[in-house]
Amino acid sequence: MAKYLVQVIILGTQVIGRAFARALQQEYRASQEAAKRAGGGRQGAARAAANLSSGLTLEEAKQILDVSNIDKESLEKNFKHLFAVNDKSKGGSFYLQSKVVRAKERLDQELADASKIKQKP
Amino acid sequence: MTQKMAEAVKHLPKIDSQTFANSKYYKGGFEQKMTRREAALILGISPSASKLKVKEAHKRVMSLNHPDRGGSPYIAAKINEAKDLLDSSK
Repeated sequence: MAKYLVQVIILGTQVIGRAFARALQQEYRASQEAAKRAGGGRQGAARAAANLSSGLTLEEAKQILDVSNIDKESLEKNFKHLFAVNDKSKGGSFYLQSKVVRAKERLDQELADASKIKQKP
Repeated sequence: MTQKMAEAVKHLPKIDSQTFANSKYYKGGFEQKMTRREAALILGISPSASKLKVKEAHKRVMSLNHPDRGGSPYIAAKINEAKDLLDSSK
């Protein structure tokens, strides 16, 4: 009886161990894939990490603020406008204003990352 | 692997003054698939609001964000999607 019990436990641990290893592998591959999709190289990795930590992809942030390529001026201008029109005091929606703020944060992060990478090639 | 780990730790959300200044805002981007809850938040009404309320709220929020008046087309699309969602499931 005890022999069977030991066998069952060993088998169980083996199965769980293998599944865990596979999950880790998958996770690792997914993160590499995400980095590649986000442009590859060091910039791609930084971008994928920022997408993950902010919960907002670069593409969506650009769409929200309606900027096609990020330059500081148009970014600032569009942000000011969108932030102001969606203010609660003017009957705007706080949720939409939040999205505008987060998109601005995300693009600021992108600019900071880009300049950091340029500094140390 | 250790390098990856160090990188991941470096990219953890930093807690600085800016985080606290903006902490009252909703986190992240729009949801992958819009829910009734998100639709109601976008229009600034309750999820169980009447059709008339939805219409009024849509008109108000849309007039603020209309692309012809410098609004973002993406946000405008989200507003329309929110209205359609709240209208459809009633």
